[in-house]
Amino acid sequence: MFPIYKKELQSFFYTPFAYAFAALFMLLFSLSFSNGIAKLEGSNTWAFSFTEMFYSVILYFIFLIPLLTMRTFADERKNGTEVLLMTSPVSVLKIVIAKFLANVTVYLFMLLGTAFFPIITAMKGEVIVSQLICAYIGIFFWGTMYIAVGMFISSLTESPILAAIIGEVIMFVLLFIDDFSNTAFISQYPKVQSVIYSFAAQPRFAYFSEGFIRLSDMVFFASVIIVFLSWTYMTIEKRRWNRG
Amino acid sequence: MINIENLTKYYGNNRAVNHISFTINDNEILGFLGPNGAGKSTTMNMIAGYLPMSDGTVTIYGADITKDPLKAKRNIGYLPEIPPVYPDMKVKEYLSFCAGLKRVPRGERSKEIERVMGLLKIKDVSGKLIRNLSKGYKQRVGFAQALLGNPKFLILDEPTVGLDPNQVAEVRAIIKDLKKEHSVIFSSHILSEVSAVCDRVIIINKGDIRAIDTIENLEKSMASTLVLHIKVKGDKDTAASVIGMTKGVKELKKIEDEGSSIYAFTVDLEGDSDTVRDAIMSDCLKNGVSILEMYTDKPNLENVFIELINRPVKKNGLQELLDEIPDESEKTTEKKEEE
Repeated sequence: MFPIYKKELQSFFYTPFAYAFAALFMLLFSLSFSNGIAKLEGSNTWAFSFTEMFYSVILYFIFLIPLLTMRTFADERKNGTEVLLMTSPVSVLKIVIAKFLANVTVYLFMLLGTAFFPIITAMKGEVIVSQLICAYIGIFFWGTMYIAVGMFISSLTESPILAAIIGEVIMFVLLFIDDFSNTAFISQYPKVQSVIYSFAAQPRFAYFSEGFIRLSDMVFFASVIIVFLSWTYMTIEKRRWNRG
Repeated sequence: MINIENLTKYYGNNRAVNHISFTINDNEILGFLGPNGAGKSTTMNMIAGYLPMSDGTVTIYGADITKDPLKAKRNIGYLPEIPPVYPDMKVKEYLSFCAGLKRVPRGERSKEIERVMGLLKIKDVSGKLIRNLSKGYKQRVGFAQALLGNPKFLILDEPTVGLDPNQVAEVRAIIKDLKKEHSVIFSSHILSEVSAVCDRVIIINKGDIRAIDTIENLEKSMASTLVLHIKVKGDKDTAASVIGMTKGVKELKKIEDEGSSIYAFTVDLEGDSDTVRDAIMSDCLKNGVSILEMYTDKPNLENVFIELINRPVKKNGLQELLDEIPDESEKTTEKKEEE
């Protein structure tokens, strides 16, 4: 398992990929940041907070995370290296977990870069540390959920570009599922609404950003991650049986 | 020992491999011969545990590939048709990754990598990105990967494709050398390659085994219909009667006049060609006919191969199949005469 994890990390960090990726994220992050503080001028009611800002950050994830995950399995198939992994004494489950952990590591690396902004802010203003930590935990869960989704899509196709595009669509749906359940049309059917709403991730993220750490939310994110990783595992196994 | 029993693969309703069974002995090189699309790669992928089989079992040194895959795979080194290399990795980096994947103990890794790089002569490219390597080098890097950890059983799917003639010879020598410590199954659609390297051959087409036999047997059965070419100087009738009367000559097929009393005879032989040739030589000399040239056609294995794979029959012994093959040289003679 470890060799695969290491190899994945090498492919991110020995190439400009991880750095360009983190830089792009920092750029987007700083744009929201400067936008947020620009609003402070001439307004007495607006208070800037990082946790508010994180809502726009998870929107960026829709475009960023697929870039990270699109190659995970699609590239292995394209290069014909899937055979190598499958005929080595490593189980498919371990391959999936190793690749997931590697993606999460890169994600943590880019998340770490953004700590720069609260630190600067704390020097010149005030940061509610406890709330910020909760928000970071929330955003960490959100990103890892997207990574699991992206990996699943990547296991479905041979084309990284296609994996990225389909991944974006699914992530978009995941982000706005609560808005969808609140539409007038769905509201007509309260039972349907409650079922759809129970899949909504954004309200759960909201708790984190407000400074709550609830077990139920963590279980929700963990479950989504496990479900998508299991699907990834099953897709790979199933494709071996169907290949023709 | 590797046991393959009743191995079958369906792709939907399409049967790619049809109930094939064979054994690969220790320290044996088994050639797997068949035209493109015969089911070679599918079979090898199943043996290596990449593709699940529709039916049958593969047992590698006692471990069933489906029931105990991790144990079975530890004994396998596999070079698939397309070398499984990462274009963005350097050769050494890649091999070190593979060594880890194959659970080569950490302390032995660098030594092991050096060993396989030396064996396949890729030390000079060890720092290069695989993306920038030529097809031949990529193939050799893929081969090196299969040898890492010294697995007992090697599966090589067309290992010489894309190599230049020099490299082909090198790789063949390596494969021959591997026999000392490994069992090898090695696929190819080039017959001469298989006959140069393998102890036994399996000929497969459309998922069916057409023949399993040793190269010697294959050649021996072909040698029963040897064609001898003789060029003589002297009297045509004397030469013809002398050659025709010699014991072991089956049929005098063709006489060509090449001018200045030189004649070329084409003769079918039966039995041992050496004694027949001796007899012809001495008989001709006794009768004042001098021999300018004498040679036999090499047994044409390519023709056997083509006949075997195109034949709808199956499960016959190789000998039976060979006996049914019409004599190739006879056909060509007829053609020439028509012209």
